[in-house]
Amino acid sequence: MEFTLKTFIFYGFALSTIASALAVVTVRNIVHAAFALMVTLFGVAGLYVFLQADFLAATQVIVYVGGILVLILFGVMMTSGRLEMRIHIERGQLLLGAGISFALLMLLLTVIANTPIWKNLTDDGTPLSPTTERIGQLILNEKFLLPFEVVSVLLLVALIGAALISRKEVRE
Amino acid sequence: MSLQHYLVISSILFSLGIFAVLTRKNAISILMGIELILNSCNLNFVAFSRFITPAESIVGSEVFRFDGQIIAIFGIVLAAAEAAVFLAIILAIYREFGSIRPDEVDTLKG
Amino acid sequence: MVVSLISIILLAPLASFAIFALLGLAKRNFPRQDYLSTFAMLVALGCSLYLIQEVVSDPKPLTVEWLSLGSVTFSMGFYLDSVTVIMLIVVTLVSSLVHIFSIGYMHGDPRYPRFFAFLSLFSFSMLFLVVSDNLLGIYIGWELVGLCSYLLIGFWFEKDSAANACKKAFLTTRVGDVGMFIGMMMLFAEFKTLSLYGDNGIFDAVTTLESGQIAGLSIAGILIFCGAVGKSAQVPLHTWLPDAMEGPTPVSALIHAATMVAAGVYLVARMFPILTPTSSLVIAYVGGITALVAATIAIVRFDIKRVLAYSTVSQLGYMMLAIGAGSYVAGLFHLTTHAFFKALLFLGSGSVIHAFHAMHAHHDDEHTDDAEHEHDDHSLVHEHGSEIPPDQDMRNMGGLRKKMPWTFGTMLVATLSISGVPFVFSGFWSKDKILAGVLGRAMEWNSVHHYILFSMALIAAGITAFYMFRLIFMTFFGEPRNQEMHNMAHESPWVMTVPLIILAALSFPIVNTGWFNKDYVKPPEQHHVSAPQHAYVSPDTKTADANFGFSLFGTSEAEAAEEDGGNGTTYTDDAHYAVHKLAHNIAMVLSICVAGLGILLSWMFYQRRTFSAEGVATTFRPVYNLFWNKYYFDEFYDGVLVALTVWKSRLFAKFDLSFIDGIVNGVGKVTRDIFAAFIGFFDNRVVDGLVNRVAEVTWAAGGRIRKIQTGAIQTYLFVVLGGIVLIILIFRLF
Repeated sequence: MEFTLKTFIFYGFALSTIASALAVVTVRNIVHAAFALMVTLFGVAGLYVFLQADFLAATQVIVYVGGILVLILFGVMMTSGRLEMRIHIERGQLLLGAGISFALLMLLLTVIANTPIWKNLTDDGTPLSPTTERIGQLILNEKFLLPFEVVSVLLLVALIGAALISRKEVRE
Repeated sequence: MSLQHYLVISSILFSLGIFAVLTRKNAISILMGIELILNSCNLNFVAFSRFITPAESIVGSEVFRFDGQIIAIFGIVLAAAEAAVFLAIILAIYREFGSIRPDEVDTLKG
Repeated sequence: MVVSLISIILLAPLASFAIFALLGLAKRNFPRQDYLSTFAMLVALGCSLYLIQEVVSDPKPLTVEWLSLGSVTFSMGFYLDSVTVIMLIVVTLVSSLVHIFSIGYMHGDPRYPRFFAFLSLFSFSMLFLVVSDNLLGIYIGWELVGLCSYLLIGFWFEKDSAANACKKAFLTTRVGDVGMFIGMMMLFAEFKTLSLYGDNGIFDAVTTLESGQIAGLSIAGILIFCGAVGKSAQVPLHTWLPDAMEGPTPVSALIHAATMVAAGVYLVARMFPILTPTSSLVIAYVGGITALVAATIAIVRFDIKRVLAYSTVSQLGYMMLAIGAGSYVAGLFHLTTHAFFKALLFLGSGSVIHAFHAMHAHHDDEHTDDAEHEHDDHSLVHEHGSEIPPDQDMRNMGGLRKKMPWTFGTMLVATLSISGVPFVFSGFWSKDKILAGVLGRAMEWNSVHHYILFSMALIAAGITAFYMFRLIFMTFFGEPRNQEMHNMAHESPWVMTVPLIILAALSFPIVNTGWFNKDYVKPPEQHHVSAPQHAYVSPDTKTADANFGFSLFGTSEAEAAEEDGGNGTTYTDDAHYAVHKLAHNIAMVLSICVAGLGILLSWMFYQRRTFSAEGVATTFRPVYNLFWNKYYFDEFYDGVLVALTVWKSRLFAKFDLSFIDGIVNGVGKVTRDIFAAFIGFFDNRVVDGLVNRVAEVTWAAGGRIRKIQTGAIQTYLFVVLGGIVLIILIFRLF
């Protein structure tokens, strides 16, 4: 594998993603964790770009970073009452969780390493642009129209439900 | 960059997400772990659709490899919905119990 | 056409009953329900009259399959021949007239609609019985008729005597019905069918029986006749009929004179083809004895209805005698004529009683509405005739002919008819035919039995004339014996007198003997009677033609047939014809003499008072007592049968108490003291112990296991994910 600028950038994105994700699960301050999550999401968006999915990368940034993350921060503020909130982790639970997670990781890596058809598949670099136009056509033609509409309805239902659940009880 | 690079990254994200879900003592931290898991899944979708082209995606000489991306978009939508409902529930729980520690919300304890 | 007519005849009274029943359930009163049921009967009567011309010379049964049990199929159906039609007309006609009469007689009764409902149901049952072509249908109608009789006799069930009488009627007839049922079952076992007609019917099958099987057929015939003994009140089961006079008088007229009791005669007539010489003789003797016994009892009764009741029993015995002696047509002819004049007599007596009722109610409690209190003063016990309600006691009557001219006139006609006053009254012809038939057989067969039977019938005829005129003299002639009651008596309203007049008209042969003329009714063949067949077929037709030839109406065809040299068809045997002609002439002369003697004696006893009835009674004290106590039948039943039953029951009760209860108690004691103790121990220790141990283990285990449920989500997640890892590891490793 030649070490080009592109490769360098790729590894940069990969490492920052993993490192920030590690921070998300380890830092004690929940607000710091939220910001680390933001870095992770940006990293994943960068990886999408490497996969020729530029529309998806933009969506990731706008929806996740601009929407979901803000939502999470709101949640933090509304539940803790203060921005800095210590996260207590019991030692036994921590070790057990780490063990299970590590075992899962090892399993997944084993599967990845031992699946023959996944080996040596390299990116041929075929450009997929303009992705937005294609995705728009796919969503609105027969292939994905029904899932798209179902998801829309689901989102609407979820939003109404969320509003209903989270509203304050109206006392008589 | 091969498929396996992306799969390794997504595996690590997934494991970290599981770790967060299992160990964190704050419901919002658990939500963050779930977001990690969802992201790892989306990454997998996109990577597979980029590297492995199903036969039905080839029309004429042109190759369409967008199925994974569209599924990923749907995944993002679901994540947004899930986050909204999750936070609403957390708010309700907070009002009811005064806490969002999952080990304190144990009404179903046997 | 025929089927629909029969359906209308059957359904009209049934629908009337159904309407009454439904209205009764709804506790509604439909105005003029009595007119409705009367109208239904009139419709049935009209259809019956129309059916006369529909009867074909070779009637076929109209059947449908009703019920299949294994290989056996029961069918239901109609059989329509001339006898059926005559019975239909008799039943519907008498029933219609009784309905009309009841409108007046039962007026104001609190259960007035119910009375008409029962009348309708009764009419339906009787008609069903008449038209059925199989024994099963006849049996159903038979029992329904019995039920209606029970309901109507006990119509005034407030009276103990009525309640007892209806029970007595039901149980007594049931004794006969058991015999009838066994007889039916014998026929069924032999022929595998209960249908009478048709190719596979009993009558068809009977013809193929070997002579060795005749004995069984005789027994079956006698057993079926047992049913008729009960229903037609023949000795020894006749005791219920006089008691049945507790019912309203129209009921007595309809059921216990004209139709229901005739069902027994009708049944025997229907079963005519299976009768053998033995069973015929038994039937004839039972009929003859009944005629004689009942007639002698009737002499000494003072209750006007009882006299008529015993008269009915006696006349039914006559019919049985006729059929038993092979005079099929004569028996049915007498059945028809008797139905009319006996209904007339009963309705007439009802009219008299009604007249006295009015007085009674008025006199006793100053109440103008007589019917409301009609039953209150009936509360006297009728047992053994010792206590007679004053309004039915002939000793209170007398001289009524001026007060009640219509009633008197019509009853006189009926009395002349039943007494056998010659030539212009139908009763003479029918009775004469019976006597002639019996004598003819006696002479032809040279049979001592039939000579005895003939003399019994003759004596009974004389006695009949005597007691019937005794009734007339005591009721309508002479001086009023009870001036107070006499003053209050009055003629009945027109709804009551019109039926009387119609029935009186029917007592003249001009109206009804024509049916039994000109071969309209042909007796069925009896295959198992040893004498030549024509000996059985002919007496009726011969005598009929012989006497109708010089006196009667509608005989032009018969005469024409005779003139045509028709001797070839029916007059197959000149000697035979001569014998019957002779028998007929002898019988006619004798019967006229006997009837005249009876009337003369009656006149001398009760009008001229040449002899004192009381004096004769004292002179022949034992005989008088025998008659007065009705041959001690009731005493015999009470003293012997009932006492035996009670004694037997006591014995069984004692046996039950000492022996069976002892065993039961002993077993109980052993069970309680030994088994129960052991089983209790076993239950407490073993079974309960086991159950309790299981429960405790479950409880303890549950207490421990429930700790697993922490209620914390993350614990569950740990378990789930750990499980997934483990499973995957296991699958990777192996």
